[in-house]
Amino acid sequence: MAETLTRRTALGRLGAVGVAVATGALHMPAPAGAQGASPTMGLQESVQDGLKRVFGGRPMKDGSALIKLDIPPIAENGAVVPVNVEVTGAMTPASYVKTIWIVADKNRIPIVAKATLTPEAGQAFVGANIRLGETTDVRAVIEQSDGTLWTAKREVKVTVGGCGG
Amino acid sequence: MSDIGKIRIRVPSNVKAGDVVRVRCLVIHPMERIERDAQGKIIDRNYNYITRVTATYLGKPVAAFDLTQSVSENPAFSFALKATAPGPVTVIFVDTHGGKYERTEDIVFA
Repeated sequence: MAETLTRRTALGRLGAVGVAVATGALHMPAPAGAQGASPTMGLQESVQDGLKRVFGGRPMKDGSALIKLDIPPIAENGAVVPVNVEVTGAMTPASYVKTIWIVADKNRIPIVAKATLTPEAGQAFVGANIRLGETTDVRAVIEQSDGTLWTAKREVKVTVGGCGG
Repeated sequence: MSDIGKIRIRVPSNVKAGDVVRVRCLVIHPMERIERDAQGKIIDRNYNYITRVTATYLGKPVAAFDLTQSVSENPAFSFALKATAPGPVTVIFVDTHGGKYERTEDIVFA
C-alpha cells in the first residue's frame, strides 16, 4: 500500500532531520562536510552530536581491556599524531570487527576517520595519522559484526594545535 | 605540487603463508584544512582532501577508510591482512577534486 504523504508526515520527517543536523549547521554556514563523497563524515559538530548521529544512542560497552589504543600521551605537533588501534581477538567470518571509528573529542570535526574491515584482515588493526586541535580525549569506537559497540579513550596533550582554521 | 598522489606502500619482506602482516602506506596529499576569514567565517570552496581509501588483497577488500579534514597532511595508514597466497595489495585513494590515486605492491613469500 502506497503511503500518502500528508503535510503532517512531511513536516514530521523534516523536523527529525532538522534536529539531527541543526547543531552542526549552526557552526557550518558553508557546507564543509557536504562536499565529500560520504555525507555522514566530516561534519563540524560537537562530539556528543557526532556520536549520537553516528550511533544513535546505542549502548557502548567499556572496551578498554579489549582495545589497545596506541597514541603518544604528549603530541608536540598536533598536525601529525599517529594513532594505532588494535583489537585483541581473532577475526573470523562469524565474529569480526566490522568498523573502527577514531574520534577526537575537541576537534571541530570530531569524527575523524572510519575504517571498515573484512574478515580477510586476520586482525583488527588500523593506524592513521590524525590532526588534533588541542589537548583532548581520543576515543576509538569499534563495532563488531553482531552490532556490539565497544569504546576506549585516552587523553593526548597537544603542545601546538594542528587543526588551525 | 606535482607530487600529489605519490603513494608508498611498505609490506614486510619476510612473509610466510598464514601470517598476519601489517601493511603501511603513505600518500603525498595536501589534505586542505577548512580556512576562515578575519571574521572567523568559513570560506566556502571545494577543499581538496581524501575522502576514501580502499585496500584490496588478491582482489578482495581488506580495509576501507572514510576520512575527514581531521586527518593529517600526507596521510599514512596501516592495516593488517592475512597472507594466504603471494599476490598484489592494491591501495586506492579518492579525493574531493576527483583525483584517484592507485598503487599495487606484491606480497612475496620468503
